[in-house]
Formats: sequence, C-alpha cells, structure tokens
Amino acid sequence: MLVMGEVHTGLLQNSGEISESTCRQVLGLMAGETVRVSRRPIVHALSPERLTGVDCALPTASRSRVRGVGTVVSRCAVTGGRVAQGSSYARVVRSEADRRLPWSHYLARPGVVEVLGKVKAADLAEGFTGDTVPGRPDGACLDLGAVSGRFLDLVQQSPLLDRRAPFKIPRTNLRWVAETGEPSIRFTLHAEQERTLRLTHPGPFTPAVVDLCEDLATHDWLLTSLLVIVERARIGGTPGAQAVARLAPAIDHLMHLWMPAARVEEWMTPFWESLERRPGFTRQWRSLVDRVRDQVAMNTLALLSATAEAGRRSP
Amino acid sequence: MLVFAISDKGGTGRSVTGTNIVYRHALQGNDVCYLDFDFGSPTAGAIFSVSSVARGTRENGLHHYLRGECPQPRRVDVWAESDREGLRARPPGAGRLVLLPGSEGGGELSALTDEVVGRCVQLLGRLDEEFDLCMIDVSAGRSFTAELVLAATVRMPAIPFRWLVFHRWTRQHIIAADGLVTGADGLLDVGIRFGHDAEDLRDRIRFVRTAVLEPDAAELVGLRDEQRAWLSACDSELRELAGRHGVGRTAMLGKIPLDPVLQWREQLITDEDVLASKIANAETAAAFEELAKKIVDDSAWEGL
Repeated sequence: MLVMGEVHTGLLQNSGEISESTCRQVLGLMAGETVRVSRRPIVHALSPERLTGVDCALPTASRSRVRGVGTVVSRCAVTGGRVAQGSSYARVVRSEADRRLPWSHYLARPGVVEVLGKVKAADLAEGFTGDTVPGRPDGACLDLGAVSGRFLDLVQQSPLLDRRAPFKIPRTNLRWVAETGEPSIRFTLHAEQERTLRLTHPGPFTPAVVDLCEDLATHDWLLTSLLVIVERARIGGTPGAQAVARLAPAIDHLMHLWMPAARVEEWMTPFWESLERRPGFTRQWRSLVDRVRDQVAMNTLALLSATAEAGRRSP
Repeated sequence: MLVFAISDKGGTGRSVTGTNIVYRHALQGNDVCYLDFDFGSPTAGAIFSVSSVARGTRENGLHHYLRGECPQPRRVDVWAESDREGLRARPPGAGRLVLLPGSEGGGELSALTDEVVGRCVQLLGRLDEEFDLCMIDVSAGRSFTAELVLAATVRMPAIPFRWLVFHRWTRQHIIAADGLVTGADGLLDVGIRFGHDAEDLRDRIRFVRTAVLEPDAAELVGLRDEQRAWLSACDSELRELAGRHGVGRTAMLGKIPLDPVLQWREQLITDEDVLASKIANAETAAAFEELAKKIVDDSAWEGL
C-alpha cells in the first residue's frame, strides 16, 4: 500500500571525525553481521538491520482507529565519519487475515506491517506526514521517530566516542511516505527540526527509496546546521576575527561533506534534481559556503594589512 | 555541560537563582535549557513568565516522560512563549532558551527503577548534544530525584556535569548545606554508592549563597552603630562556621545579594528591571551574570 519511515540525523558526538575502522565498530550492532562501507565519493558506513516488533494503532488523518501488526526495520549510518543517523521504515500492507496471526508469520516478512481492517493509503500517508495533523503522533500510535531516535542514541552512546563534539547542534527528523505511482516529490520544512517528505515513484518499492530519504536527510541536516552556525557568527554584528572564529567549526567539520545524491541509484536521481531546482538545496549551500569563505578571506586581508602597517611603523 | 541545582532546604532561592543563571547564559550567546525536576512543585514556568506551564504541564511533562507515558517531554521556547514583553523577543546574539516543564500535580518520584534511570540517561544525553548548558533543578534536600541524577551521571562518564548547592547565609543553612553534601545519605554518600569516585564528585560540587546581606551594603546605612557592629560580628562568625563546614570561600562559586524584587516575586531580572524601571539592583544582575560565566569557567572549578 505504502511505505513509511523516519530518519533522525545528528552530529556524531566525537571531537573529530572517526576513521572507517571505528565506524565499523560503532555500527557493529550485532555480532557476526557486517557493517557495509562505501568509500567513494565519501565514506559511508551502514549498520546491519534490526527488527522491532509492533502491534499498535497507526496514525491516520481521519483519526479512525487502524491496527497494524508486524515489524519495523531499523539501521544506523555514519557519513564522512561525522554525521550520524538512525533510520526506520515499514511497508504497510493489508492483512489477509482479520485477526492477529502467530509471530512467526510476521517474522517471515521483515519490515512489513499488516493492517487489520479497512484503511485508505491516503489517510495513512496524511496521518503520518501530518500536514493536517501537526505535531508528533501520540504515545499509543506507531512512533517510528521514537525507534529511530533510540537507534541514533545507540551510536551516540558508543564508548568509542569521546562525546566532545566541536559544537552543539540539534538533531533533525525527517518523516517520509513513499507510494507507487506517477513520479513526484514534495519536501516540507515544519517548525523546529521537523521535516516531511512525500514521494511517489514508478515501480515497486525497493530499499533504494530508503537510501534516497537518508541521503536527503543528511543534506538537509548539513544545510540546517550550517545555517545555524552562520547565524551564531553574527557576521556584521561582531568584529571580523570573532565572527570567523565562530565559523571555524563549519570549515573544520561540515563544509567538505556536501555530496548530494552520492548514494542514490541512477533511476532515482531525477528526484534529487527536482529538489535541486526547487527549493534548491545546493544553491543555498553554495551561497552559504561562499559567505563563510569570503568572511575568512576578508579577515585574512585585514590581518595582512594590520601586519604591514605595524611593519611600516617599526622598520 | 549538565548542571544540577539542589538546596539544603526549601525557600533558598534555588529555582529563581538557577533560572536567572540560565537566562544570563543564554544572553551571553549560548544555547541553554532548564529542566524542572522539582516534581513536588514545578514552578519554573512561573519564573519564566510562561503562564501556560506556570505550575507545570498537564501533558508530556518531565514526570510523564520519566514514567514512560510519553516518548519525549514537552519543550517550551521561552523567547517565543513568555508572557513578559521583555522576554518575548530573542535579543540579538542570544542563544536558545528552552524550558522543559515538570508535570502538573506530578508528585515526587516514588521509586528509582532501572527504566527510569535509563530514560533519564537518554534525555540528558540527547539534550547535551544540542545545548551548551542544561540546568536541572533537582528540588530541595535528599530525594529520589537527586538519587536518579546521581545514578544517571554514572552511566554517562563522558558527559561533563557539575553540582550547585544553594544555601542561605545563616547558621542553620550553612550546617544543612554541609550535611546535604557530606552527611549520611548526602550527595557524596549516595554518589559513592552508585559508583562515583568520591574525590572526583567532591570537585564537581560548589556552593552558592543566596539572599546575602553584606555588612557594608547600602541598605544598612540607616542602621545604628550597635546594629552594624552586631551584624559584622555575626557575619564573621558565619564565615568561621562556613570554613569549618567546608562551605567556605574556596568551595563557593558565588553569592547573590539580597534583592527586594526576588524577595517579593520570583522572576527573571532583566536589564530593563535594573536600568529602566530600576526595581532591581544592578549588583543582583551582575551577580547572576558572573555566575553564568563562572559555571563554565574551568579555573573556578579546579580541585579543592
């Protein structure tokens, strides 16, 4: 019927970026299962997947009670040794039975939540990405965000991290719904750190859809965080050297991580391209990066001329 | 940085001093949050002038969260939701100022279970990712809440934390403040039981004196010579007592002068209160300002 997921993204709680081998250890959530690592164009490590059993109400826009039983797939990722993610999703399908089946039935279908009773896909999609229902689902509903948040906690609480992150920054949460149909994509920024994504793709669901959502979440977090750092620098409101010092964490830790659509399958790149046209992620990113670099250049010039001036005065 | 605020007894001005410290810290450009763990009487909302949570919140308060009744506790953006005009706009250069209110009518924690400690660890770990300073108001005296955060901090060895013990400048309060730290079932005693290192924990605790009347204060100008002499003798006696109880100058992070505004109404003291309406004393605002800096200044926290 549809697939729903939620990605939480945050700054890895370590003073510097972590190496590929540390990534493997941090993400080794299950003994025996390997961590998948891709190295080009940016190091990206993905944990093995884990299942969470659920039997609860599903969020609906009409507030009608819909019960879902099955399992949610979750995984963690670290990009560039610096950006951490917890991601969960479930394929929602109609149950062929009208009652709950033995768990073996659901365990044989990992990542599938079966709906008992009648429900329209649009009602679920609207309920989950909530244009009409603001805020988080209440405690009784399926809360993929709580699952993803816990998986991100698993990474952040790893004893291999020193917890001395170079700056404080909030996590962002992307809730997404994917359906089959005429291709379209809609990305919405909500209050604070909440974002939603509605995706319609041709052909059946594949895990490539999840990769796209995670890639998008990574870049939205990068952009959001760079905006926060630039705002904190108070360019124009504070002396140049002070503003540049406040921009330094962005140069040290964020600016090299921008690799849009790096892990997105070929047939899905048009979705990214459409977001690049509008709202234009890379456009905004480049303008911010230029702004940061110009500040550094201006400050260097000021320092140089101050030094030259001092040299002239005391030959 | 996590800062736990505790006091020996009620009525010491712990909440009002703690909220004023985070307010000043936010004005200094840091992202800060204030957690109202005073489950018996969560009143931080009133001090921040957020009337909707003046006595805590009915839904998704910290107490609900710790009991596992909601996935995340409610957050209140003070710059957006305060009823006080002077607080409603975030001043340029100021950081975020977020209140996590307690639950209305929640009552004290009745037991300390592993799940509750786990939720507390999760919450504090997440807040530490995004805030420069998290101040946790732990209520007065020995409580399950104090035990809870002592148990939680053991599980987060990499996250820096500090304790502020608020007390008034009287004989009984000095003795009680010392007892709260070093006495039976005091902070050190319980901390060691949960696995803290005694010396390390001792170094993370500092005292803050509240409602202090200095013998040379302007308010005392009208006093008779005999009264002044008596006050001065009392003050030196208290100093001697504080030194003996380990609550003396070396263990003190700061002191807040007696201010009529704080005596009559618990509120944030803004620069407007000092400069425009002139209801508050400049010394009080300066004392908060200095504490807000010292709280993160490592040189003020070197080993005793």
